[in-house]
Amino acid sequence: MNNAAKPRILLVEDDLTVQNLVSTALDLHGYVVSKVCNGQAAIMDAVSHGPSLIMLDLGLPDIDGIEVITKIRSWSAVPIIVISARTEDSDKIAALDAGADDYLTKPFSVDELLARVRANLRRSSMASSESTEASTFDNGPLHIDYAAGYATKDGRELSLTPTEYKLLVLLAKNVDKVLTHTFITREIWGTSWDSDLASLRVFMRTLRKKIEVDPSHPKMIQTHMGVGYRMQRL
Amino acid sequence: MQRDASDTRVNPDLILKAIEKDEVADDARTSRGHLKIFFGYAAGTGKTYAMLQAAHAAKRRGVDVVAGYIEPHERPATAHLAQGLENVPCKLIEHNGIALNEFDLDAAIERAPQLILVDELAHTNAPGSRHDKRYQDVEELLHAGIDVYTTVNVQHIESLNDMVASITGVVVSERIPDRIFDDADQVELVDIEPEDLLERLRAGLVYRPAQADRAQQHFFTVENLTALREIALRRCADRTGHLTDAARVLGNRDYYTRERILVCVSPAPTNPRIVRAAARMAKAFRSELVALFVESPRTQAMSDDERAKLAANIALAEQLGAHMETVYGDDIAFQISEFARLSGISKIVMGRTGERSSVRQALFGRKSLVEQLITFAPNLDIYIIPEQSTPPSRPKGRRHALALQPPSSRNVLRTLALSLAATAIGTAFRHLGFADSSIISLYILTALLTAVTTTGRICTIVSSVLSVVLYNFCFVTPLFSLASYDRSYLVTFGIMFATAMVAGELTARIADNARTSAENAFKTRVLLETNQLLQQAHSAEECARVAMNQLVKLLKLDVVFYPAEHGTLGKALYESAGTENRSASLLTDYERAVATWTFTNNKRAGASTRTLPEARCLYLAVRTGDKVFGVIGIALEGREIEAFEHSIVLSIVGECALALESDRAAQEREEAAVLAKNEQLRANLLRSIGHDLRTPLTAISGSAAILRKSDEKLSLEQRCDLADAIYDDSLWLIDTVENLLAITRVEDGTIRLNLTSELIDEVIEAALSHVAQASHGRAVTIEHTDDILLVRIDVHLIMQVLTNLIMNAFKYTPEDSTVTIGARREGAFVVVDVADDGPGVADCDKPHIFERFFTSSNTQPVDSRRSIGLGLSLCRSIVEAHGGVIEVRDSHPHGAIFRFTLPAEEIEIHE
Repeated sequence: MNNAAKPRILLVEDDLTVQNLVSTALDLHGYVVSKVCNGQAAIMDAVSHGPSLIMLDLGLPDIDGIEVITKIRSWSAVPIIVISARTEDSDKIAALDAGADDYLTKPFSVDELLARVRANLRRSSMASSESTEASTFDNGPLHIDYAAGYATKDGRELSLTPTEYKLLVLLAKNVDKVLTHTFITREIWGTSWDSDLASLRVFMRTLRKKIEVDPSHPKMIQTHMGVGYRMQRL
Repeated sequence: MQRDASDTRVNPDLILKAIEKDEVADDARTSRGHLKIFFGYAAGTGKTYAMLQAAHAAKRRGVDVVAGYIEPHERPATAHLAQGLENVPCKLIEHNGIALNEFDLDAAIERAPQLILVDELAHTNAPGSRHDKRYQDVEELLHAGIDVYTTVNVQHIESLNDMVASITGVVVSERIPDRIFDDADQVELVDIEPEDLLERLRAGLVYRPAQADRAQQHFFTVENLTALREIALRRCADRTGHLTDAARVLGNRDYYTRERILVCVSPAPTNPRIVRAAARMAKAFRSELVALFVESPRTQAMSDDERAKLAANIALAEQLGAHMETVYGDDIAFQISEFARLSGISKIVMGRTGERSSVRQALFGRKSLVEQLITFAPNLDIYIIPEQSTPPSRPKGRRHALALQPPSSRNVLRTLALSLAATAIGTAFRHLGFADSSIISLYILTALLTAVTTTGRICTIVSSVLSVVLYNFCFVTPLFSLASYDRSYLVTFGIMFATAMVAGELTARIADNARTSAENAFKTRVLLETNQLLQQAHSAEECARVAMNQLVKLLKLDVVFYPAEHGTLGKALYESAGTENRSASLLTDYERAVATWTFTNNKRAGASTRTLPEARCLYLAVRTGDKVFGVIGIALEGREIEAFEHSIVLSIVGECALALESDRAAQEREEAAVLAKNEQLRANLLRSIGHDLRTPLTAISGSAAILRKSDEKLSLEQRCDLADAIYDDSLWLIDTVENLLAITRVEDGTIRLNLTSELIDEVIEAALSHVAQASHGRAVTIEHTDDILLVRIDVHLIMQVLTNLIMNAFKYTPEDSTVTIGARREGAFVVVDVADDGPGVADCDKPHIFERFFTSSNTQPVDSRRSIGLGLSLCRSIVEAHGGVIEVRDSHPHGAIFRFTLPAEEIEIHE
């Protein structure tokens, strides 16, 4: 196989066992992996090789993972998946708010890892191919016409409140990306208070009822406990 | 020689200097030279002679001695002694045409003897020498490692110069710094009786005859010499004192017992004298000086003038190095003796203020302050400093104040009426022909009756005087005049007056005693009540409330209380005396700041005190010893607390402090017990985990090892099995670790819930997605309601609860079972059920199922893996931490329902 055609993934992880596990898994699935152990090397590699995706562990020996994200985001829109330990919700949120696209929580399964990598690569390739802002959005039974300002499910127009529609558009425009509670409430209400979070929960529930195929087992909009929501491409 | 003696003390500086010196000099010596000073109080005491003798003695011991410079006095004995020593030739220096013989420093260093003699340490070198002063030469010799013997007279020591000049009238310009003298390794005082010195002088042993005459006239008088000798002796003694101090510092040992001297500070004009005397005494005893001021209720009645004097006396005491302390109390003698006992005071210095003058004391046996102190603290040395003729200035006692108050008009009328009545009856007696003695008795009875029926002593005195005057006026010839023909009547008058006075005084005392005992009874009653109430109080707040209520009842004033919490003051409590709530104006930041001052300084402050008197409340520390449990504030509203009330207030506050202390002690015991229990649980936990983690770890590492080593020998199926084993065991480990992490968060007492608003449906959904793969074919259904069930929870912990409950359901039910999860609202709670249709929980297990390390003996989990018994106990801890309850009940027809509740959150939607 031609290496040039394979997506190149930069893996930043200081724990060699995890590094080995992840790189083996990625290698088996046809990705080219370059492995580094610290933040400085990560930035260097990102500059010199321009990877298609970066997997970044937040607990790095030299510089803070958030700083790495901020630095890379200053010139590149490359998808960044953050790897963190489960107890550090605040770290994940900070990383997502700093520009990371997704996160994986240790311990994670290999399947989950590969799914995330695929989703993020797909999203970035679509974003680059759609140079101009798309005027419509399709995801499974869902269809949104941004220009006309309405959404349909299986061809039937959905009756959405203005807030629900705003929420749906926000998720659709960031499909496959985890949006933090703070990000969403800021975008919708301009504030991010506790009461806004409660409102968000309620609107999310009503929105799901309207767009999900089976509202009790939501597929389109995933809940990320303690972090946020993500619209998944079906 | 002397070096052997002094080398035993190790001086790091000397070693350091020696090391430095080794680098510069080629000398093999390893230490700085030693200096020995032969010290005299005047010329001719024999310093040089003594020095030479010592040098000869050293020489005989084999020390390499040279004479650097010996003053060429023409004293035969001295000159003779000097001849036996090797000399360093003097250097000739020309100055203003005069050739001066000077000590040759370079030659001496070149010669490098072990010991060199350099006479006249205070000598000023001729201009052109290396150093201005000879002592600098000597320092250089010492630095070069050469021991030096030298001589010096007392008038040459810098600090004594003035003193010597004032005695002798001669100002000496050649002086050595005190440090040279104090730092010398040895000082030998060459002493001689002044008479003998004068004798020597007259014999021409010191100066040549012509010089001697002049010297004798101006300087060498017995008086001068005696004074100089005294100064010299004292200086030597001082130096020894310094050395002892230094040694004590070095050895960190107490060479003498630590004395603490206490002096009482008061506004009395004689007080500075006493403070000074105490300071001198402290210096003489080398002891610590503690100045004590007993603040009593009387202090508050002090005039501004007295306050100023008090402040000045306190400042004086502090300036004299005293450590200032203040105590509060009504009974000054008791307070002083208690303070002395507690702070290890050995001596008390006090004045005789106001103690000797009182005739009443002598008459009625009241003890003076000193006598009381002797009773209270028989082990203390008490030093009484006599005072010069100053009138007693002790603030007048309550008793005096009351006694000498101007009488009320009613009392005056009563006194007059009684006297007039006596006169009327007396007149009747006279007409009836009774003896004069009856009339006199009648007047004495009048004085007595007056004392009984009126308050204050003025009336008694007036009545006594009136009795005498009226008797004289009405019944003694010549009638209706104050004159009397019979001299014996004067005696009668005198006795009459004295009897009336004594009777009156006695009666007044009885009245006083009655009042005092009434007050004491009241005090006892209040305190007893306080004590009983405090014993019934079960918490610190109740104790504080009791004390506050008692104070409110006693004073009819508003009271606030600030409890001490973690080194600062907590939320204030307030008790109002009336119906009006003035807490807003009494609990301001300023008031809190004053209370905080009281708390940190353990001293009263606020209204009616001298500290921050602008505050509205008087703040008293609730304390036992150094421990402050809180601060009580009494809103004085411009009122003064009377002395009697004041002592009750202090007692109530003290009782409260004791109660708080015992409450705290009980709390600490309880905490210690909980801690011990936690410790026990933790130990069990570790033991249990140790076992349960090792099993899957063994399986994982073993399977992995087989896979790595014998990969090709295994069939595909075997390899898959091994990989599955690794996978399953690691998942189990992940679950266990999650539980353990949650336990460390919830159960180590530092629980901090990270609360967010969540939809319970979402949480259930998320939890289920975590464990879905472990269902192994069991059907899982979620019962939805249309209600929006919002809860405020720590989402990770509640996920853990759900995960554990669902996993349990999977673990203890057959594979064809159904697990149903439902949530609904019931009142203020959201109720979550995790139900299964498995065999259910045995009744005997139900009470224990949520206990830690509980594993059922009846029920075997389906997968046969033993449970640590942490899951359900953790669930209970988490749910309870959220303010909910968890329980297990039977499902029909069979199965178990685990149900927990969480407080529901009301929804407010922002559009």
